[in-house]
Amino acid sequence: MSASVEANSVTEAVILMSRMFDAPRDLVWETMTDPKHVSQWWGGPGFTNPVCEMDVRPGGKWHHVMRTPDGQQFTFNFIFVEVVRPERLVWQDVNHGKAQGGPPTCVNIVTFEDHGQQTKWKLVARFNSIAERDFAAQMGFSDMISVSTDRLAAHLQTL
Amino acid sequence: MAQDRLSSTLFALADPTRRGILARLATGDATVTELAEPYDMSLAAVSKHLKVLETAGLISRGREAQWRPCHLEAAPLADISEWVEGYRRFWDRSLDHLADYLKTMKKPGSDSSGV
Repeated sequence: MSASVEANSVTEAVILMSRMFDAPRDLVWETMTDPKHVSQWWGGPGFTNPVCEMDVRPGGKWHHVMRTPDGQQFTFNFIFVEVVRPERLVWQDVNHGKAQGGPPTCVNIVTFEDHGQQTKWKLVARFNSIAERDFAAQMGFSDMISVSTDRLAAHLQTL
Repeated sequence: MAQDRLSSTLFALADPTRRGILARLATGDATVTELAEPYDMSLAAVSKHLKVLETAGLISRGREAQWRPCHLEAAPLADISEWVEGYRRFWDRSLDHLADYLKTMKKPGSDSSGV
């Protein structure tokens, strides 16, 4: 049941994750779009979510405060871009694509595939639109640095 | 502060010429003139790209005034990697938790259609 992380091609600038849930699609959709459910699992065991306000429609806001097990608090301000119940949900940081110099931001595209009593959940996360196409390059970079600079050079030349 | 650095790394990498320069430097240190060779652009234009890379900490420049060879610095790339890994871990953890949560919702007798 662990999520798979696929090594990405250099043309697709993304993090890809997928997972099969033992639950029908409508239910998985509910748990991802209803604050009373999202606040139960967001962050993982030991994390709490004192604020989770979701206006699940295109242009709607998602204001969220997450507290880590050691008490650190993180605020997320997202905006929903696409809402196609129960198959596709797209949201991004409110500042995505706007500011240069801020923290990295991303667009998250989640699709829900109906597999009867199971649901395949897929995430495509695209970072900083300005550098969108280059994100895979950075992942490639990091891998190759640990291997050898020769491979880094070869990889860079394919970009 | 670390995040600002990530942003400047992302920005620096968002240009094919700069990636090309990094690719060249991955094979060894080089001077501005050497780096400019494959490109149809002025030394001044290449220097501008080098400045961006230097600001992002992706390269360092030698001290000798005449040559000032450029050197690839790997640390910012490792930071990016770490940040990506953190994001991936966040989702891994959350999805594990969601899977468990879904199990509790599907217990016999519970009405999943009502949630």
